Amino acid sequence: MQKVKIILNKKEAPGIFLMGLDVGKEYTKKCSPGQFVRLKAWDSFDPLVPRPFTIHAVKDERLYILYQVRGKGTRFLCRMEPGEEVEISPPMGNAFPQLKDYVLCAGGVGSAGFGFLLQEAERGSYPLPKKFYYAARTGELLARAQFFQNFSVPLALITEDGSLGKKGLITDVLKEELKEERPGAILACGPLPMLKAVAKLGEELGIKVHVVLETFLACGEGFCMGCVIPLKNGKYAYLCKTGPTFPAEEIDFERL
Amino acid sequence: MKDYSRNFLFYPPLALASGTWGLGENLFKYYSPAEVKETFGVLVTKGISLKPRIGNLPPRIWETPCGLINSIGLANPGVKEFKKIFLTGLLKTEVKIFVNLYGEEIEDFVALAEEFKGTGVSGLELNISCPNVKKGGIAFASQPEVVKELVKEVRKVWEGSLWVKLSPVGPVLDVAKACESSGADAIVCANTYPGLVVIEGEKVLKGGVSGPAIKPLTLRLVYELSREVSIPIVGCGGIASAKDVLDYFVCGAKAVEIGTAFLIDPELAKKIAKELKEKWDM
Repeated sequence: MQKVKIILNKKEAPGIFLMGLDVGKEYTKKCSPGQFVRLKAWDSFDPLVPRPFTIHAVKDERLYILYQVRGKGTRFLCRMEPGEEVEISPPMGNAFPQLKDYVLCAGGVGSAGFGFLLQEAERGSYPLPKKFYYAARTGELLARAQFFQNFSVPLALITEDGSLGKKGLITDVLKEELKEERPGAILACGPLPMLKAVAKLGEELGIKVHVVLETFLACGEGFCMGCVIPLKNGKYAYLCKTGPTFPAEEIDFERL
Repeated sequence: MKDYSRNFLFYPPLALASGTWGLGENLFKYYSPAEVKETFGVLVTKGISLKPRIGNLPPRIWETPCGLINSIGLANPGVKEFKKIFLTGLLKTEVKIFVNLYGEEIEDFVALAEEFKGTGVSGLELNISCPNVKKGGIAFASQPEVVKELVKEVRKVWEGSLWVKLSPVGPVLDVAKACESSGADAIVCANTYPGLVVIEGEKVLKGGVSGPAIKPLTLRLVYELSREVSIPIVGCGGIASAKDVLDYFVCGAKAVEIGTAFLIDPELAKKIAKELKEKWDM
């Protein structure tokens, strides 16, 4: 873990914050879209383990995370001020797969990792997705929608209450649109019920779905063997070792 | 400050506890070979069983105030695979390797011990204290007579160092004395405490509690046991700083194992070892 300075910690939506960290160019060079970092912003033992966050964006020597305040760790984080320091792990986990002819699907703060992917796609180191479907319960929870609009990839906003973009669930919109023109693959990140629904839809339409999963992570390095993901073949995968992105067809969602 | 250095069971007197560094695959991401040697006197492997074990269903691990609760279920590749794929790499570290053994019956432990004869492994740590398996594990720790038999039988086939990792619950003193009288070289005090958390208001996770939360409990056990048994005690429970290590030495430990702290920050042990060295000026 190394200490780095906070350069930004700004509320983007109710309960959702954007944090910028000055990690240095050597560090950002090592990062790939889909990877996560562990952050520790406290000296005490409660919370105990550093919290994992997907890399949201990278610019020069800066790394950004987009996070939702959900528990002790994130409550600590959201109170931090620019100029203060946090401890950061090396980048962990595996990069998003390089997919061809694919679309992105995000639910809520699950959009975080797609910022970095879009940045890299525009730089040419990742294939460009055909479209980005971004859903949340309400319009104000579509954090960083404007940032995502800056990319050349078409952005479809979807809200359950219809306050912004199309009204409905992400799967309603996907069902409608993907029937017309089927992509080769879907890369999805968001709450588990959404991932299950997207995986099911992919199966119905014959589209390969990749899901970004989350679990409680103690070490992020394969040391503790705690972050287990049950697979359909009866075996287990470890989120930190082979994830966090998995082919949906391999996941045993019932035992997850 | 009292000089404990002459009484160390091994040097540096820090061991990496079983189950907190996987099977060593990512250890060198954080430590150079020289740093491993400078930090640890012993590396204790993940619990190894005769047959591969897939481990428990999720959730396996969760945070508690100042601690972790886990129920991994001794996931491991089994002794054959472990020897074939992982052991050679571990032996290259030039640090004493202790293999943590898990069996359901005494015969399993004996068979496992025989597997490690002549392999270069320095010692065995008998796991009679895992709270997360249906058979064996902590069940042994409630029966001092069975532990006595177990240690005696393993001793017959194993000439290297033989440690027994105790459970912190049950008749701990009687179990410790049983280890002493049957030929154990040291006892490790102790494994995790059986506990339970309710996750997000619905899922129940029964497991073993570790981390700074348990340090005062285990420290007390080490203190009490060190006054009753004469074989060395390896302290293990909630160590996260050099002060914690020194506290264990004050209470009678002759070495310590670091576990949960390694999960928080793998490099913490490096800092602890350095700080201790400076303190002891060695």
